[in-house]
Amino acid sequence: MKVERQWNTLERDTAQRMEAAARFIGPGKQVKVEDVVPLLEAVVRPGDKVNVEGNNQKQADFLAEALCKVDPAKIHDLHMVQSSVPLAAHLDVFEKGIAKKLDFAFGGPQSGRVATFIREGKLELGAIHTYLELFGRYCLDLTPRVSLICAYEADREGNLYTGFNTEDTPVIVEATKFRKGIVIAQVNKIVDKLPRVDIPADWIDAVVQSPKPFFIEPLFTRDPGLVTERHILLAMMCLKGIYGEYGVKRINHGIGFLTSAIELLLPTYGEELGLKGKCCTQLVLNPHPTMIPAIESGWIEAIYCFGGELGMENYVRARSDVFFTGPDGSLRSNRALAQTAGHYALDMFIGSTLQIDQYGNSSTATANRVAGFGGAPNMGCDAKGRRHSTDSWLKCGREVPSMNELIGDMPRGKRLVVQGMETFGEGRAPAFVDRLDAWKLAENAKLDLPPVMIYGDDVTHLVTEEGIAYLNRCADLETRMAAIRAVAGYTEVGLRAKPEETKRLRDDGIVKTAADLDIDPDTATRDRLAARNMRELVDWSGGLYNPPARFRNW
Amino acid sequence: MANWSKLQTRSFLESSARDRAIGLVDEGTFTELAGPFDRMSSPHLVALGEAVEFDDGVVTGVGRIGKRPVFVISQEGRFIGGAVGEVGGAKMVTTIDLAIGFADELRAANPKIAPDELPLVAISFETGGVRLHESNAGLLAHAEVMDAFQRARGKVPVVALIGSRIGCFGGMGFVAAATDVIVMSEFGRLGLTGPEVIEEEMGKDEFDASNRALVYRTTGGRHKYIMGDCNFLVDDRIAAFRGQVTELCKLPVGDFEQFRRIGSAALVEKQMRAVALAAEMQPKDAYDVWRRAGNNDPAGLGDAPVDDFRKQAQRLSV
Amino acid sequence: MALNTLEFECKAEAASVRLAAPVHYGVVGSGDLEVILEPRDLEGAVTVKITTPVAGFDAVWRKVLETFVNRAKLADVAIDINDNNASPAVVSMRLQQAFAETAA
Repeated sequence: MKVERQWNTLERDTAQRMEAAARFIGPGKQVKVEDVVPLLEAVVRPGDKVNVEGNNQKQADFLAEALCKVDPAKIHDLHMVQSSVPLAAHLDVFEKGIAKKLDFAFGGPQSGRVATFIREGKLELGAIHTYLELFGRYCLDLTPRVSLICAYEADREGNLYTGFNTEDTPVIVEATKFRKGIVIAQVNKIVDKLPRVDIPADWIDAVVQSPKPFFIEPLFTRDPGLVTERHILLAMMCLKGIYGEYGVKRINHGIGFLTSAIELLLPTYGEELGLKGKCCTQLVLNPHPTMIPAIESGWIEAIYCFGGELGMENYVRARSDVFFTGPDGSLRSNRALAQTAGHYALDMFIGSTLQIDQYGNSSTATANRVAGFGGAPNMGCDAKGRRHSTDSWLKCGREVPSMNELIGDMPRGKRLVVQGMETFGEGRAPAFVDRLDAWKLAENAKLDLPPVMIYGDDVTHLVTEEGIAYLNRCADLETRMAAIRAVAGYTEVGLRAKPEETKRLRDDGIVKTAADLDIDPDTATRDRLAARNMRELVDWSGGLYNPPARFRNW
Repeated sequence: MANWSKLQTRSFLESSARDRAIGLVDEGTFTELAGPFDRMSSPHLVALGEAVEFDDGVVTGVGRIGKRPVFVISQEGRFIGGAVGEVGGAKMVTTIDLAIGFADELRAANPKIAPDELPLVAISFETGGVRLHESNAGLLAHAEVMDAFQRARGKVPVVALIGSRIGCFGGMGFVAAATDVIVMSEFGRLGLTGPEVIEEEMGKDEFDASNRALVYRTTGGRHKYIMGDCNFLVDDRIAAFRGQVTELCKLPVGDFEQFRRIGSAALVEKQMRAVALAAEMQPKDAYDVWRRAGNNDPAGLGDAPVDDFRKQAQRLSV
Repeated sequence: MALNTLEFECKAEAASVRLAAPVHYGVVGSGDLEVILEPRDLEGAVTVKITTPVAGFDAVWRKVLETFVNRAKLADVAIDINDNNASPAVVSMRLQQAFAETAA
């Protein structure tokens, strides 16, 4: 029997809300600063799924703070669905009883509060996601009813320019607007003509010019002055034993000083090894300032960016052969597409972690901080849906002795997933542990499972000052654990290594020390870096790179 | 021991106190005095349970540039920020006194000795000033070094070299100011009160110590060059510092008076004119003063490669 | 809270390498150390003295030093270390570098 029902309840509900909000929205969809809180109270309803834009770079900070000021008697039990929660305001909404539940991907500076709030019952955690996973859910079961986004500029009609830091905006707006949700944008400036339109005015319901420009963090700027000899030694081993060994071309560099060291060694040591043109030609990567020397030396064909990086605007604009820029000349970053490329089109992910266990599982979680994953797990894994081949992917897969146990004689490649770190980190904390702190966190914050950044079966290579463990070459877990022990140095895990076992692994090419790679650790000096400080990066860029004030050293 | 030729091309900023000392003088001529094998560590730090260093963070010794004996003092910023304590301070004073004594001896033996055969003292500063762990002894060391400068004046030129990570702050900022000539790189910083202390005392609005661009354009080599607080601005290589010292080594001690920023009635008057100018201008930023000195595009000048800066910069005259 | 001093002796399995001259290497920066290696007649043994603000890592120090002495096959050497919270990885690296200086 056919049931009579209305098929446009969402649309009607939205229309009702917008009607209530109409008196705050002027021509060009503009809202006055003082009307933003009443506007939010008009369009948001208790229990709504709400997105506040912000990842680990740009933040809709003004709107986030405005949401904290709504009356909790009117607006409560919100279900926040958002990439990250780095601002105090992101957690204040839970403190004030405005929001109840959180689904997110990355914690940042507030990750300690997330754990505390979960324990105190102030915050109900849906799940910790990767960016792509969360974006996927925006389009399925976590679709925002209202999204609060940010852009550089709006024009008089409400079109938006997100430019250099487009980042998550397209995916949020698309998921929200096309399911009849409401999108409110904070912009730094309202102008007559935009450099280009990134988000059309049709998809935007209200625009407010924020009292001050949105907060943005230069999160991917690493001062070459802080790269140590140990980073350089690890970087040399990576370049010779992995980049060169596999001829890896399409890469993502995780954030950290090891990858900065690699970037700064490409034009020096990389060139000595004859790798130019053969390795590291395409990257999914934010515009890292430490990439400048490699780009200027002609190593890089293309870089696709998740987000922008403060100070790199003019440099990127002047290097449109390398970066993806719009008709106006400025970068268009896009996190969803970059993560897609990161998941499917990369041959290698290389990054660092805080802890790795005896099986090779790694995590950046500590006992009292719900740090989240960001994008690393989507790149730090073998993409099972990948169907195209490259030489490095095939070689890495060919070396996996147990491949046939799962798929018989069918050939298949494998992404290189490299974790590089010193055996001891900050404050002599061992990087190798029997059991990850993630287990304790799961207990403390009542999580369903310990938050693992990269699972052991995805890690193909481990690099420490002791050497490289080629985990992809291990036939079984026992061998993998032995290989991990062999490079774990003087940590508890490493102290269990047996000399004869390590020797066998070295003979089999499963473990290679610096000496096995013919690298003299004494030559791992800062003289090798293409740039040793921020000033030299500026000089490499011909004055185009304009580092934020706090990074300047002259 | 570090390869001398390699040291020449090395960044001065990046180099340890010992490498700076070795690289500053002619190849193979550096002899360290009271070096690590003599194990003259600070007894105060031991008592406090703090890490010690065999040379107490100061490298002292003697070498040659050409015919000139060069007594070198080089501070190590990585050891407690280069802070000066009792032992390190005594090593500094003794080195200067050795230079003075040697100059007297040489002159007594040969009254007609060529000026470029007489000793010179070069101090590579990298310090925040007094080592608070041994405050009185550390302060006394500062006073004693200043006193030694007075004894050296007119006999042995004292050259300050500033281009290391920590810069030269606190009491040692006074000490550096009392030398005959100051050579800096653009990465060097010279001041009295360190940036963090100013922020602590006066508030972030007055001085934001995390704003490194602000810190450098207020205390850095470029600003000090325009202000006349440093005499020479050289590239960030040991060879560049060495080159400048080599030039200075050709001069008789009397010629060093022209480089001094303080220490005579005329210089006091000049300082007073600078103070009057500051009172009149009320500058909000170092760049205001750069503009006053005749630099129309201070920001552009501040960001230009250092070679262009040297060619273009107009220095303040009062 | 005085500084801790750790002293012990070890002997390389195939002790054969003696030093021609003493060597000093390193700077006592944060998380770093300096080391002196000096030839001394010790009947083939190696003595170690470590001065450090850190307590409770004696076993790890021993292991790191023994590994170094064995790898370098050192004999008749006195090792004197001033440490400021260096990780075992850094200790190991600095010892290697100091040893490399003796060959240079």
